[in-house]
Amino acid sequence: MRIVVCVKQIIDPELPASQFRIDAESKRQRANGHPLVISPYDENALEVALTLKEKTGGTVAVVSAGEPSAISALRKGLAMGADEAALISDPALDGSDAFGLAAALARGIQKLGTPDLVLCGCESGDWADRTVGPILAEALNIPCVSFVAQVEAQDGRLRMRRVVEEGYEIWEGAPPLLLTILSHESNVPRYPKVKDIMTASRRSIPTWSAADLGVEAGDIGKAAMRTEVQQLTLPSRESRCELLDGEPAQQVATLITKLRERKAI
Amino acid sequence: MDLGLSPRQEMFRDMVRDFAEKEVAPRAAAVDAEARFPAQTIRMMGELGLMGVAIPAEYGGAGADTICYVIAIEEISRACASTGVIMSINNSLVCDLIYKFGDEEQKRRFLIPLARGEQLGCFCLSEPDAGSDAGNLRVTALAEGDHFVLNGAKNFITNGKEADIAIVFATVGRHLKHKGISALIVEKGTPGFQVLKEESKLGIRGSSTCQLLFEQCRVPRENLLGEIGEGFRIAMVSLDGGRIGIAAQAVGIARAALEASLEYARGRVQFGRPIAAFQAIQFLLADMATRIDAARLLTYRAASLRDCGAPYTKEGSMAKLSASEVAMWVTTKAIQIYGGYGYITDYPVERHFRDAKVTEIYEGTSEIQRLVIAGHLLG
Amino acid sequence: MPGIFVLGTIENGIPSRSTLELLTGAQRLAGGLQEGVSVGLLGPGDAASLYRYGVEAVYRANHPLLKEYQADLYLLALQRIAQTAGARVLLLSGDSLGRDLAARLAFRLKAGIVTDVIEIDIEGSEKMPRFTRPAYGGKAAAVIIPKRFPVVVTLKPRTLDPAAPAGKPKGKEIPVEISLDLAQARTRMVERVQEETTGVKLEDARAVVSGGRGLGGPEGFTLLVQLARVLKGAVGASRAATDAGWVPSSMQVGQTGKTVSPDLYIAVGISGATQHVAGISGAKTIVAINADPEAPIFKVAHLGIVGDYKAILPPLIAKCRELMGS
Repeated sequence: MRIVVCVKQIIDPELPASQFRIDAESKRQRANGHPLVISPYDENALEVALTLKEKTGGTVAVVSAGEPSAISALRKGLAMGADEAALISDPALDGSDAFGLAAALARGIQKLGTPDLVLCGCESGDWADRTVGPILAEALNIPCVSFVAQVEAQDGRLRMRRVVEEGYEIWEGAPPLLLTILSHESNVPRYPKVKDIMTASRRSIPTWSAADLGVEAGDIGKAAMRTEVQQLTLPSRESRCELLDGEPAQQVATLITKLRERKAI
Repeated sequence: MDLGLSPRQEMFRDMVRDFAEKEVAPRAAAVDAEARFPAQTIRMMGELGLMGVAIPAEYGGAGADTICYVIAIEEISRACASTGVIMSINNSLVCDLIYKFGDEEQKRRFLIPLARGEQLGCFCLSEPDAGSDAGNLRVTALAEGDHFVLNGAKNFITNGKEADIAIVFATVGRHLKHKGISALIVEKGTPGFQVLKEESKLGIRGSSTCQLLFEQCRVPRENLLGEIGEGFRIAMVSLDGGRIGIAAQAVGIARAALEASLEYARGRVQFGRPIAAFQAIQFLLADMATRIDAARLLTYRAASLRDCGAPYTKEGSMAKLSASEVAMWVTTKAIQIYGGYGYITDYPVERHFRDAKVTEIYEGTSEIQRLVIAGHLLG
Repeated sequence: MPGIFVLGTIENGIPSRSTLELLTGAQRLAGGLQEGVSVGLLGPGDAASLYRYGVEAVYRANHPLLKEYQADLYLLALQRIAQTAGARVLLLSGDSLGRDLAARLAFRLKAGIVTDVIEIDIEGSEKMPRFTRPAYGGKAAAVIIPKRFPVVVTLKPRTLDPAAPAGKPKGKEIPVEISLDLAQARTRMVERVQEETTGVKLEDARAVVSGGRGLGGPEGFTLLVQLARVLKGAVGASRAATDAGWVPSSMQVGQTGKTVSPDLYIAVGISGATQHVAGISGAKTIVAINADPEAPIFKVAHLGIVGDYKAILPPLIAKCRELMGS
């Protein structure tokens, strides 16, 4: 099975809110030299891909559309066990919305070879639009199953466990498929081994421009934007937490009093 | 002059940091409080290649460089200093030593499982009456046919309880002084080799520190590392490398204390302002950060010299001297910033303080480091 | 042709709660943009109750294959009725169904898309709809405007109040012809498993007791269940607890999980990552119980107890039981 995993490099979302700054110009988070990481669910997706490969054979490729710095995200993908990596990076992509990114990714994925399975994180750790995956499925003209926690391959078909509000659903389908992956106890991302980091650091990773992929200029970048971020602001959340002192019995007694004052119980 | 990390070293650091934050740090308080050896963590570290970082892949290691090694020790020690020292001993005082001085058969037999982390090693030099005066050993290794017979006690042996492999320094004749010291590889379970006592300690409580006893312990001659009488040189060369590791451990402990202090200073409100707004606190934080960076740069320099194959004894001692004293100073100030909260065990800085102290003592006290440095200066 | 379209669902003869929330958004857009509101229905269900909410038209695609959710078939049907309705703004609930369909629908309609919207308003003279959504795990709020129409919008469930009836019912139903074939479903849902624990639904509960990594294991949830039962509430969990497999993912509260807006939210052993906090911003009173005094949850909680939950919860349960009993 040929599996392609799409990864996005983002500013570490675990960064405390106190260090979060907005760049007024781009209406994005200011990078400020903060660590860059693979968006968390994308790592879950990569783990699903690597586990499938171990069970059923095949290859795993990682692809990213973004800044040149995303090469390090791809390198980590290789160190975790992916066989191949490619970066799509071009100033012409700046300002692309989900449709522009999906158009570029679709071409990049096709250039790697027709995939059986395309995996994306169910949402990115920064904007969490949850749109690139499903749009990419449409652009590749393949079906999509979203919010998948587990995948099993059986006789050339796939069984997916899709998480919904009340529980989960089991979906079946034959490749080619695109899945958006949710974190689950079964797909905790592995740590790359030191020796694999050493090997991956020596691999060369191709960088493709929009022209290399034959992406239409009108399909990407600011000009193709269908929606625009007009404003990005910090929410004002000034809550003063009242810490309750004393032994547990006394803390509980105070808590009950306070809750009754607030009519919370 | 490039003082930055290469992309490879950065990727390595990110992995170790991620691992340390997710797997090591959450257990650190319990490992300390219960004086519990972090067996599961060490096993995972072995699988990742962190127990033989700078050993070539053909001998079970990860094939990285000394810079990566110090990065790893700093990141792990920042999360848990006990885990840091367990790792440091196995890497620099056991694996590196067998790699450098062992013959091919010894490397195949002992180094591969140690570097893979399948086995753990300890380094047995100190004795009840021979600490800094390491040339004056009393444990004897007398040749008897194709064996050496070990007799005597070793003191303050890190990993002593858990180690599968012990590198034991013993003398073939006390009258030979330094020149009689020889290094032997002793396997756990060899008759006559036992753990006499495990110490209760101020800090690094998750790592064991033991007294080991050898009584008529017969070690096959093929377990001799290097030549008879080469042991003292082997020990000194190993300690040169080990000191870089301890320097990195101290930097890691200090950084943990600084980061905790920054977080606390931002959140703690007194006189209506976060204490970080007070210059008295700001100056402390600035000094802490500056000294830590200086210690780290000295550590990187020593590691980088080692990677180039250049002499680094003086620089290793400088790094260890500086970093350990910085760690002690920074952790003391961290408690000061926390005030009363720093003195109680609900917060991590008292642990950092206790853990820091040993870095001024083991693998050569600060006084020994000063002697080494002065010796180089005066020639 | 009405310009605002809502994908609705009818439950027991009346609009579902999420449909009413969408209608609130639709009414706002309709007022500001001087447009009418239509509702799309897939399958049967009495449309009459919708007309009280200012709905002018109900476009219905009825087909036996729409009886249960199959993504590809739903997409085909939805695309068809959306095109028939010719709407400029299409509102879908940001539930698991809406999330599954919205982006693909936008692609097929060559529309823009905005997801997870928590606020809708109209910008003054330009008459431009503005959609507010959280970004960066709730650390920021973004206002998104469409650069073209149509635009597909998903609303974060439980953020807008349900619509109130508006004026005289005056709508009409427009059937939309659709032919579907099971072969068009490239993937199939073959099983649906309810994991919801007994008692009150998490989203509806007036009291929610949630647990996280700090519980140390699944057994910690036993105390939480007891407390929730006494408070007649529901039990939730942070992503750390569901990822660890301690409790089913249906219990997850947060950005990827459910949004709750109870009167009382008790977070036990939850560090308070923004991803979790994003799901509880509507809670009126937040109580944090955590052994780590540095946990960010204390920054969002109203009342906090630093301590071991195993020591706090038993007396708390006993006290509440006393109170509730009297």
